[in-house]
Amino acid sequence: MLEYIGDIFHHFVDPKKRVFLGYIALSILIAILWLVFLKKKRLKSAIFKVFDKKILLSGSAISDYKMFLINRVLMLILSPYLLTQLAVATFFYYSLLSIPLSGLISFLNDTPAIVVAILFTFVFFTFDDFTKYWVHRWMHKWPVLWALHKVHHSAETLNPITVYRTHPLEGILFSLRGAFSQGTVISTFFFIFGDKVDLVTILGVNFLVFSFHVAGSNLRHSHIDIKYWVWLEKILISPAQHQLHHSLDERHYDKNFGAALAIWDWIFGSLHHSEDIDNLKLGVEDNDFDPNSITELYLKPMKEISDIASESLSSLKSLNKIFKI
Amino acid sequence: MKKLIVMIVAVFVVTEVAAHHFYSKFPITLKGYTGDKTNSVSYSGQIARHVLHDSLKKLAGKGDGGSNAAEIEAQMMKYFKGSKEDLDIIAPKTKGDFKIKQTTLNQISKGKNLSGKTYKGVINGWPGQMTGPEVIEFMIKKAARTKGGFDPATGYNYPQLISKFAMGAVFYNQAVDNYLDEKMAPGSKTNDMPYKDGAYYTYKEHAWDEAFGYWGAVSHGLGLSAKQNYDITKMKDMAAADQNKDGVVDLKSEYNFAHAYYASSFDKGGKTNYYNTVTQAFLDGRKIIAGAKGEKLSSSEKAALQGHIAVINANWEKVIAESVFKYAGSVYKDIVKLEENYSDKAFSTYAKHWGELKGFALALQTGKSNLGETAVKLNRLTGMGPVLMNASQVTGVDSAGNYIKEEAQSWGEFKLHMLKIQKLMVEKFGVKAKGNDMLADMSSLASKVGSSDSAEND
Ligand SMILES: [Zn+2]
Ligand SMILES: [Zn+2]
Repeated sequence: MLEYIGDIFHHFVDPKKRVFLGYIALSILIAILWLVFLKKKRLKSAIFKVFDKKILLSGSAISDYKMFLINRVLMLILSPYLLTQLAVATFFYYSLLSIPLSGLISFLNDTPAIVVAILFTFVFFTFDDFTKYWVHRWMHKWPVLWALHKVHHSAETLNPITVYRTHPLEGILFSLRGAFSQGTVISTFFFIFGDKVDLVTILGVNFLVFSFHVAGSNLRHSHIDIKYWVWLEKILISPAQHQLHHSLDERHYDKNFGAALAIWDWIFGSLHHSEDIDNLKLGVEDNDFDPNSITELYLKPMKEISDIASESLSSLKSLNKIFKI
Repeated sequence: MKKLIVMIVAVFVVTEVAAHHFYSKFPITLKGYTGDKTNSVSYSGQIARHVLHDSLKKLAGKGDGGSNAAEIEAQMMKYFKGSKEDLDIIAPKTKGDFKIKQTTLNQISKGKNLSGKTYKGVINGWPGQMTGPEVIEFMIKKAARTKGGFDPATGYNYPQLISKFAMGAVFYNQAVDNYLDEKMAPGSKTNDMPYKDGAYYTYKEHAWDEAFGYWGAVSHGLGLSAKQNYDITKMKDMAAADQNKDGVVDLKSEYNFAHAYYASSFDKGGKTNYYNTVTQAFLDGRKIIAGAKGEKLSSSEKAALQGHIAVINANWEKVIAESVFKYAGSVYKDIVKLEENYSDKAFSTYAKHWGELKGFALALQTGKSNLGETAVKLNRLTGMGPVLMNASQVTGVDSAGNYIKEEAQSWGEFKLHMLKIQKLMVEKFGVKAKGNDMLADMSSLASKVGSSDSAEND
């Protein structure tokens, strides 16, 4: 129990976590500045807008908070069994060593440590972001995965805690993705550069991740539709672009899968620039799904998956029959 | 007056508490003993063997390249097979203020040898399919013909090979496979019998003491820090060694030998506690035997003793596995250096570390349990000899005892083998100290990056 409370507390005081209070505070500041200087609102009404009760205490938001608290229990129990990036890294490292490459890459031996560290930090962040893009895209594309990811999209209002509105099975998939992407990059760099590899950090956090959070990553899940210049929205996903990803409007379906970088959406044709829409409608089109019911949020995806599974099983069986005949 | 009483009581309490940590004084419990002995603890024969081993290691580096071969060989054989005459202690010897009480072996115990106590099984990890004593004799002959114990043609460093292998084949094997195994098993002599006719200790008392003697710890080691225990063997901490403050270090109880010393070397890193764990188990077991007061051990006493034996076996084995782990890492680093820049010195350092690795790897296989597949893998990964600069390697010996060399694996592959050895030690023995962990940088980086179990949705 104590461990659990500590873990929750930890999420808000650890700069490695997105909802670190420092990042939240900066996000609030950015939101107010945006509303005052670009939306020409009065300071008072800007503050009112940021702390809008209808958003922060909506039924959807309450279910976000509940899911966050429940998921932390589940992750605490599960995390010792999850594959770690170190396990992946060790495995990959051994595999790399059995390939006789050392002669080919020996010219890299003299690379200065600072260059290696900067390179590692960029590659690590970029590759991590790249895999996030693809996993997210698959979450939308494959019915089984969509059944899980729908939980996140069922939010009808967005707030920073909505990032934790995630089905635990989806959480496990994300953790596997992280272990894979981080483990492969770590081991590859170690194989090439040995102990020169290091991470460039601020407050103990990858400085690129830190910059992403300081620049208001928490506003992605909020009602403050900050837009970037068109050219920048091809490189970095703006809050408004991610909000659009949550839109109910069919025009916005399967757009903006990116996490921090927009370049993947740009390259793979899923980019959608932000638009001037007041009151974007958010959520999923599903009449027999109550987005505010905790039991449904946890159990409905499981039922859907088992339905999909039995369906495909029966079609497999009928196929089998055809072949027997 | 009051003060004086308090002081006397305090001194009494302190010495009493300390005494509980000592493996030095246990009463005579043997029924019908009429002699004047008051302490049943005795393991001077084991200390004599430690000294034979330390001296033998020193001698193995005394060859001058051939001309004194016969003389060195004969001398080494005396320390291996024992001698009728009294032998000088060649090591450990007084160094500066660190004064050693004994200078000859008979001052410790008479008529002891190593050969009679060496593991008799076949040593698969060494070329020639020889038994334990045959391997050491073979190494002695080869060592005597080298200059300083090192043979550049094969990469063998004999002082290291002989020493690290003998520590396993004699001390570890005798303790875990004989004294703590057969002599504690059903069917052996019972605790109401003397160890042998005329002895003043019981069978179990003495068998237990002998095992403790092979472990090699000082009798007051539990009261010392790992660093102090380590520095005793390095002859840097006279105050810690000289427990009875008589100004000299008594090898019989005040000097850490062999695996006890290696245990302290790992423990001082703070991640492990092998020295105290094993020494405490020995002490607790000895208390159980003394508590039987010369009667047969009850079944609950036997069970408790088996519990302590299991602790001793597992942790002693880990100490050797940690050593294998550490030297595999050393060899890896040495290869990296050699690949960058060859020098004779770098090569001999590499060969020395490989010798330590090989010796410990062979030692690991002389325990109570057959390591099976793990041993096969370990021997294959270590190789019969270190990979040489011309990419050849010893693979066997011919009938005349000459080494056969064949083309070896690549350096890259050999380096990989070292990592695999480390992995094997982690998986099979759960080593924790992990000296020279080649993947340590990677794991610290992984923890710097942070875990990815937050279930965040982007
Ligand atoms: Zn989505
Ligand atoms: Zn979202």
